[in-house]
Amino acid sequence: MASSAIKSGTLVSLQDIYLSSPFFKQGASLRVTGKLQEYSVETAVAIVVDGNANLKINTQHLRDLSFRVGSFYQFIGELLIQHDNEAILQARVGRNVDGIDLNLYHQSLQLLRKFQADHLSTT
Amino acid sequence: MDHHQHRRRLYNTHVKLLAFDLLSLLQTPSHSSSDPISFSRKGALLSRAETVGTVTSRELKPSKFLKFTIDDGTGCVGCVLWLNHLASPYFARRSPSDVRLIAEAANRFAAEIRLGVVARVRGRITSYRGTVQITVSDVVVERDPNAETLHWLECMNLARKCYDASGL
Repeated sequence: MASSAIKSGTLVSLQDIYLSSPFFKQGASLRVTGKLQEYSVETAVAIVVDGNANLKINTQHLRDLSFRVGSFYQFIGELLIQHDNEAILQARVGRNVDGIDLNLYHQSLQLLRKFQADHLSTT
Repeated sequence: MDHHQHRRRLYNTHVKLLAFDLLSLLQTPSHSSSDPISFSRKGALLSRAETVGTVTSRELKPSKFLKFTIDDGTGCVGCVLWLNHLASPYFARRSPSDVRLIAEAANRFAAEIRLGVVARVRGRITSYRGTVQITVSDVVVERDPNAETLHWLECMNLARKCYDASGL
């Protein structure tokens, strides 16, 4: 089945993506959420921010998504680490998530990681 | 509740499981012809599940099936939505108007499943080439951007307070 080859985008905060982080890996499948700070129609590169962290997103494969600076977006894709160690997410899917409660999202994410770790350690 | 009843206490409910949990269900060959494999989690037999996540793949074979993937952030669940009701001998025994309604609903669900949307999917737990999947019976596309977060919390709560409870 084709879907078995599709990797799940690990849920991360933008703050989790830094040089020595376990998520900072070439080709890592990630799901990120942030506020759109910049978008270039020419390059289809977006920059999303969350607090003081930001990430570049290549959106060239996305269709039917309009970009508004100041709106919130979520992307799933693969991390491409360039020569200068700058990371850019090659987005496979994206959606507008205006109205998301980011505080609840981040807190739930911590609970989810703990739940998953506890579950895996007991099975 | 005796041991047999206890094992089947979740059998007819749509269990809300995170993908990593659903994908690690125990699969055992069964003697039933309609369900050749039975699925269990911590001893409890399961037959139906509900999952919520982002649609990350979509493969349509018109008038046959739609295969798609739901990514909930903990794993990817393969889903199959059958679209062959009007041609299938399985449905030939049922009333043609019922079959038409089922087929229309399935076509409507198939149109709603687009890449990037967040969908709530319910259906039977089945297995394809050894991997757990969902044979879809209904689909709701979620508009609330917090729907996935609330689903994670509900899954964790249900696992701890209901599904994991031994009750014996």
